[in-house]
Amino acid sequence: MSIRLLLYLGILIIGGFFGYKGYGGKKLESKLGTIQTVCLLLLLFIMGLKMGLDEKVISSFFELGFQAIVISIFTITFSVILVKLVKGFVLKNIQQGEQNDEL
Amino acid sequence: MSFKIILAVVAGIGVGYFVLPSEILQYTDYILDIGLCLLLFFVGIDIGKNKDVFDKIKKIGFRVLLVPVMIIIGSVFGSIVAGLILGIPMNEAGAVGAGLGWYSLSSMMLATYSSKLSALAFISNVAREIIALLTIPIIAKYIGDIESIAPAAATSMDTSLPLIAKSTNPHTAIIAFISGVIVSTSVPILVSVIIKL
Repeated sequence: MSIRLLLYLGILIIGGFFGYKGYGGKKLESKLGTIQTVCLLLLLFIMGLKMGLDEKVISSFFELGFQAIVISIFTITFSVILVKLVKGFVLKNIQQGEQNDEL
Repeated sequence: MSFKIILAVVAGIGVGYFVLPSEILQYTDYILDIGLCLLLFFVGIDIGKNKDVFDKIKKIGFRVLLVPVMIIIGSVFGSIVAGLILGIPMNEAGAVGAGLGWYSLSSMMLATYSSKLSALAFISNVAREIIALLTIPIIAKYIGDIESIAPAAATSMDTSLPLIAKSTNPHTAIIAFISGVIVSTSVPILVSVIIKL
């Protein structure tokens, strides 16, 4: 595992702990939401800057668009098929659980 | 929110292409790296807040976890197959698929790797969300309730949840929410692991 992955995991876990414990209360939570939105939009703007500065992205924009749509169609199709394969197994358990609840 | 996100990226592309000199490029990676850490912290808080998910999983049964697992495997495998057809390296195509519809996070995580791949992740995952919103009612009607959660992937805990709830039943909506939380949690881990392969 790379250091970067460990760092990401560590930050996620620390954030998760804060969220789980509910530190800061509702007031901070609403402020945090605004900070989060501003940060996200600013970062996305910078990410866009990087794309705009890269000739390769601009020159192959339509090619990227086509590839993106093919990838998204394949991801959706395969995930629907795999969920369909396990559906019976998952639902059987839920129906049994419901019956047990009734008992 | 989705519109603002797309607008921020498009504005960035426009300013980057027409206004700024390319020397600025060397500084963007530092800002993105620091920003990504901040963003992951916020993501952690959001995931941590959903503490009742564990109780819901216990109540419904652990087999329900197969739904997000299959969505993840199907998405990554599907994107690798698409990558083979399109001539994209397996790790790059797999990382795009591992975005699981979370276009802001996945494209940001890949931005320091390559801006071309970051753009591909962004467009592909935006397309996934749009296709999901269009197909969820159709899949729910003609294929099945649980299957309609699959196109939504990470968005089944927030943006797609109302549509899934409307197109299916309360039981499926709970499964969709649980699945969305698990899938979302896996995005930052999977994207950074798969791109390194």
